[in-house]
Amino acid sequence: MAKFIIRRLFLMLLTMLFVSIAVFLITEAAPGNVARNVLGIHITPEQEASFLAQTGLDKPMSARYFSWLVGSDWRAKGKIGLPVTQITTEDGFKEWWAVEKDGTLIRWQMEGEDLISQRRQPDGSVEEALDNERWQVKDPAIEVERLEAYRAQLLENPQLTEADRQAVVQELDRTLDILRAEGQTQEALVAALAAPEGALEAMIDPETSRSKGVFQEVAADVSRKDSLMRAIAIYDDLSAAAADELEPSELQSMAGPLGKAADAIQDINPPVADRLRQAGESLKAKDAAAARELLEGTATTLNQLIGSLGDFVGALEEGDYQGAVTGLRDLSDPAKTPLDSARLAVLPDTLEVVGEALEDGSPEVSEALLAATESLRAGNTADARETIARAADMLEQTGWAIALGEAAQGARAARTFWGVDTQNHAVRWEKGTGKVVWRLVPGSGWLASTGGPAEYIPLQKGLVRGDPGLSLRTGRPVADMLFTRLRNSLVLAGIAFVIVMPLALILGLIAGLNEGKFLDRLLSVGGMMFSVTPEFATGIFLILIFAFWLELVPGATVFGEQAPWERPEMLVLPVLTLTLIELGYVLRITRASMVDVMKAPYIRTAFLKGLPYWRIVFKHAVRNALMAPITVIMLHVNWLLGGIVVVEVIFGYPGLGSYLLDSALFKDFNAIEGGAMILVAVAVGTQLLADVVYTFLNPRIRYA
Amino acid sequence: MAVSEQTIPKKIARPSRWKRLREGASILFASKIGLIGLVIVLFWILVAIFAPLLTPYGPTEQDYTAQNTPPSAAHPLGTDSLGRDIWSRLIYGARVVLVILPVSENFWLPGGTALWGVFLGLLVGSTLGLMGGYLGGWVDEVVMRVLDAMMAFPVILLYMIIIAAVGASATNVVLAIAIVGIPGIARLVRSLALDIRTRDYIRAAETRGESPWYIMFVEILPNARGPIIIDAMLRVGYAIFAMGTLGFLGLGLPPPSPDWGSMVAKGRQFILSGSPWAALWPSVAIASLVVGLNMFADGLREESLRYQ
Repeated sequence: MAKFIIRRLFLMLLTMLFVSIAVFLITEAAPGNVARNVLGIHITPEQEASFLAQTGLDKPMSARYFSWLVGSDWRAKGKIGLPVTQITTEDGFKEWWAVEKDGTLIRWQMEGEDLISQRRQPDGSVEEALDNERWQVKDPAIEVERLEAYRAQLLENPQLTEADRQAVVQELDRTLDILRAEGQTQEALVAALAAPEGALEAMIDPETSRSKGVFQEVAADVSRKDSLMRAIAIYDDLSAAAADELEPSELQSMAGPLGKAADAIQDINPPVADRLRQAGESLKAKDAAAARELLEGTATTLNQLIGSLGDFVGALEEGDYQGAVTGLRDLSDPAKTPLDSARLAVLPDTLEVVGEALEDGSPEVSEALLAATESLRAGNTADARETIARAADMLEQTGWAIALGEAAQGARAARTFWGVDTQNHAVRWEKGTGKVVWRLVPGSGWLASTGGPAEYIPLQKGLVRGDPGLSLRTGRPVADMLFTRLRNSLVLAGIAFVIVMPLALILGLIAGLNEGKFLDRLLSVGGMMFSVTPEFATGIFLILIFAFWLELVPGATVFGEQAPWERPEMLVLPVLTLTLIELGYVLRITRASMVDVMKAPYIRTAFLKGLPYWRIVFKHAVRNALMAPITVIMLHVNWLLGGIVVVEVIFGYPGLGSYLLDSALFKDFNAIEGGAMILVAVAVGTQLLADVVYTFLNPRIRYA
Repeated sequence: MAVSEQTIPKKIARPSRWKRLREGASILFASKIGLIGLVIVLFWILVAIFAPLLTPYGPTEQDYTAQNTPPSAAHPLGTDSLGRDIWSRLIYGARVVLVILPVSENFWLPGGTALWGVFLGLLVGSTLGLMGGYLGGWVDEVVMRVLDAMMAFPVILLYMIIIAAVGASATNVVLAIAIVGIPGIARLVRSLALDIRTRDYIRAAETRGESPWYIMFVEILPNARGPIIIDAMLRVGYAIFAMGTLGFLGLGLPPPSPDWGSMVAKGRQFILSGSPWAALWPSVAIASLVVGLNMFADGLREESLRYQ
């Protein structure tokens, strides 16, 4: 017997493994995009990539399945060089920390280019400290390759002055020489690199660097405030590669600004104004292609009207400062930009908006442009041209400084570090890889950083160690949710079971004893009707009768924070629905079994012996008649699980089934897997239980 | 050994088709319950076939002036929240279940979604069952292990992930119903095949040198048809049950197709605001059809058992 049970338990584990792989494969093959399901349909590709990387979904399927099954912390441990551990905080949150040799819990975050360590104190508070010593120089071989490519790029970079270029390349070459020397320790490398890195660092002017971040936002800022710039921006949007993905509502929202732009130039250039209006109409009709065609020449005309300020802003946004400077110089040149009456009607307004937008990025340029606006408005074009030329000179200086800073940023040897972040990932941070990212940091404005997280391993213990992972949908541990939901479902199923079993067995026995009579017909046909009617139909009938018509009990369940047993009136209808479905099934099996037993020869013998009827029934028949139903009920649990899902959905009951359904619709991997494992364990476990119970009821059965 | 002329019995006269039909009918009429079931099922089949003649409204035709109305002369069962005629949606819904399988927007196959699901399950399930039961050996071992694993899969989970994987459409519902039905059918056919393979006529066929496939499909399958047919009838009931459940869970036919389950799911929201009709009628429809089918199958089984 023990051997049999062990073998069956082993088979159960095997089945669970099989099911988990199958669920994984099927969910993987399912259409739909988890990132979009979770973050909404308007996410950018970068956001999507970042979400996939942070949740580990960018890894190959086998690796993900493996992490899910046996965890990923041991892999992270190898990378970090310190053991990692999961703790539960006072608030009940699960957090991952690395453990230092002296037992201190530590994790990191990156701010700008600085690595900040957080050490957890015994009282639960966190002590932060700058921890830049941990940065490691990236593999020299890889770095040499990258820096050589970078060097070639630098030599082509039109944004740099010749002197700056030479200065950066000189330091870059020193760095390369150090990296090329073989067989150095980390310490020696870091020490040797200090000199060229110091020199490069000196070339970075944080103030001018900050301007770049502002310049990147200028285009958006200007097109918000100026209708002509907005019209040009709309044309750019429509002709961009991703234009086909624009939502109809977005298209329609573009129509209004086009109308405004048309009003602004109505007096100056009526034909263009007309075309703008027509384009607006096409957009309202959601015809993006027609609008694009109408705007095609119009945008160029508009740009000319505002003295190519559209091109100027575009160049600034892309970091082409020398192009932007040329644009301004053209504007100041009477030969290239004659200031006729048409231009004078619209140019000052746009120039003013551009000037205001530049205020944070480059106050001097902004001031000059605003002064030029005043001069234009006063009709003093010569003054205006002079001021614009001055602005161009100042912008040129700023542009060179920014370009130098950027060039110097990327010329350093990159550093890397594996650690644990504050969101329960093992992360490989990188800095100095030449990829400059601009971020708006509250309080300190725009900050450049050359790096950030480059690789994630989401930390989890794995199912076999009792951690089914985090729900992608909520970001909370699946285990917590599963526990509550499973408890709720068990309460529902348990109450129904306690009601159904005695009732169904008794009614089944009665029907079986009265085989063929009216009572039997009534019970078995009635039972059949209830058991084959879909749960949702039964549920609807019950809601209509008890909640809608008689108004006795509520027709839906709302528990909030309360446990189901605290609101018993809400449990009535769900339990009743389950009861009716199961009642018929158990009743029919009991009846059939009773009918069989009553025809058995030993019962006839008992009758012939003259034993009293009730004694025969209770002492001889019932025990044998109940054998079949009890085991069959166990086997029926698999089917019952489906019924519970439907009942939970009908009544909005927060159980395991509705959780699983929501997760399946969301493609929430970990939640589906966690729920599926419980269902399989219940289904297979009850089958095992059925076999064991059967051997006790029927001593003739022996398991080898 | 030579077989003498006399030992070969005369060919037993096969009863004429008409006589067999009459016998079948008498079995049926002997069971009142079976007869009631048959009437219900026939009602739905006829209504489904003649659906376009029985209502002036299309199943997706909306009338914004008559939303959630109770039954009236214009709309015999009332209207739903979008002003669609419930009677029309019900009978077109029956069409999808029993008479046509909408494959794409412009193409449909005769035979309802539920019927196709059972048929496909029968096809694959009985092939597996025959192979396991007749060929035996390692084939049987492999088939049985695969079926065991499928049986261990909670049915509802299987439905959910199949539909989540392939998307909600009539063909995918057919697929899901078939896959879920396969293990049960295969087990039944296997047990029948295990019994029949010991019969003399199978030995005779083997001696004739017939191929295993011939024996499985021409000798065994037709002789196992009785239990298979009754089982299939019950399975059609399950399939309709499953279709309704899938529709109710939002995994059935995509809207606005007239699907009983999704009609109930949609109508359910309006019960407590005083418009129970949109949820009630499709529930009644699916309950009556499934109960009817089961009564019919039960009646047939009981009477055929009695005659054996």
